[in-house]
Amino acid sequence: MPSRRQLAVAAGYVAAAAVYIAIGVAFTDFLLSYFVGLAYLLLVAWLVPAGVRRLF
Amino acid sequence: MARPGRCAEAVLSWAAHDLEPYAIQRHSRLKIAFVPLLIGSYAPDLMSKWFVYGIHLGGLDLKASDPVQFHRGWPGVGFTHSLLFGVVIALLVWRVFGSKTWAISFLIGQWAHAITDTGDTVGTMLFFPWTVHVHLGAWAYAGQTGRLTDAAAYFSGPGGVWDAVWIVYGIFSWRVLTRSYFEQHVYTADRFWASANRIFPMTALLVLYRTAFFYGTSRWIAWSLWAHVVHHYPYDISWGGPHWVTAAHSPPITWAQGAGMAGIVAAIVAGAYAYRLASRRRGWTASRSET
Repeated sequence: MPSRRQLAVAAGYVAAAAVYIAIGVAFTDFLLSYFVGLAYLLLVAWLVPAGVRRLF
Repeated sequence: MARPGRCAEAVLSWAAHDLEPYAIQRHSRLKIAFVPLLIGSYAPDLMSKWFVYGIHLGGLDLKASDPVQFHRGWPGVGFTHSLLFGVVIALLVWRVFGSKTWAISFLIGQWAHAITDTGDTVGTMLFFPWTVHVHLGAWAYAGQTGRLTDAAAYFSGPGGVWDAVWIVYGIFSWRVLTRSYFEQHVYTADRFWASANRIFPMTALLVLYRTAFFYGTSRWIAWSLWAHVVHHYPYDISWGGPHWVTAAHSPPITWAQGAGMAGIVAAIVAGAYAYRLASRRRGWTASRSET
């Protein structure tokens, strides 16, 4: 079974996916490129959390 | 060149090509590098799919006049979906980067893509320069109808189900997405990650590793919602479906062609087996000479 920390990480990715999917359904062009997906995920799963940690 | 109905951008294939590399990485007994494996999995459509669907560039609309012929045929770029194309590019990768692991990883990814695409009604020229299309006809090929109709058709038929199988498999194999798996198996298999780690922290590399899974799964859900919740396209998961779309088809394979393909596959398997035996014998001889 996944640990609590692993579940927390997975929950973060699920939340990121929910936003990505919502944008993608509204604007399908957003779904077209792997590199857009990569940039989005780097932003929400690395840069934003790192920035927040630095601030607080 | 024909004028497309709407502006479209470059696009890769649907979700299976994003997700298969994780399963290959997990189950392969060979040393596999994930990055070239993923590039190989994307490679056949990387330079061609935009021209199949069409692109609006400045005042120009660019689109293949015969998208099916261009994408999967010869003349056309259908050779990118062949086993030989994978071998040629893998040899180039080996020569340029000096890495056998990168070459083999690219080859496996590209072969996975070429073989997966035999599932549709057009199939691929797997044994190019022999131009016969190997096709199972499980799902409708509708690339010629444009990106949106193609997406709607794909996510309404057996192709979408096939992608769902990979997503479910990936969720059951969740350990391949964990940090510990990445650090123990993926990072150590390829010097690329250590080089990248000099610039980017491990968290960023982990995000890069997980992106294809995230992208494939999210896109499958998004396109399914778009097709069935927003636009109400009907599901038809019968063989060769959905039948509401005008699918492109390759002619059925004759018995003689089938026998020829079986012969080629047998020759490839025999060659691989002979190579493995020879490698083992060389290793055995070397170990004896050392003692």
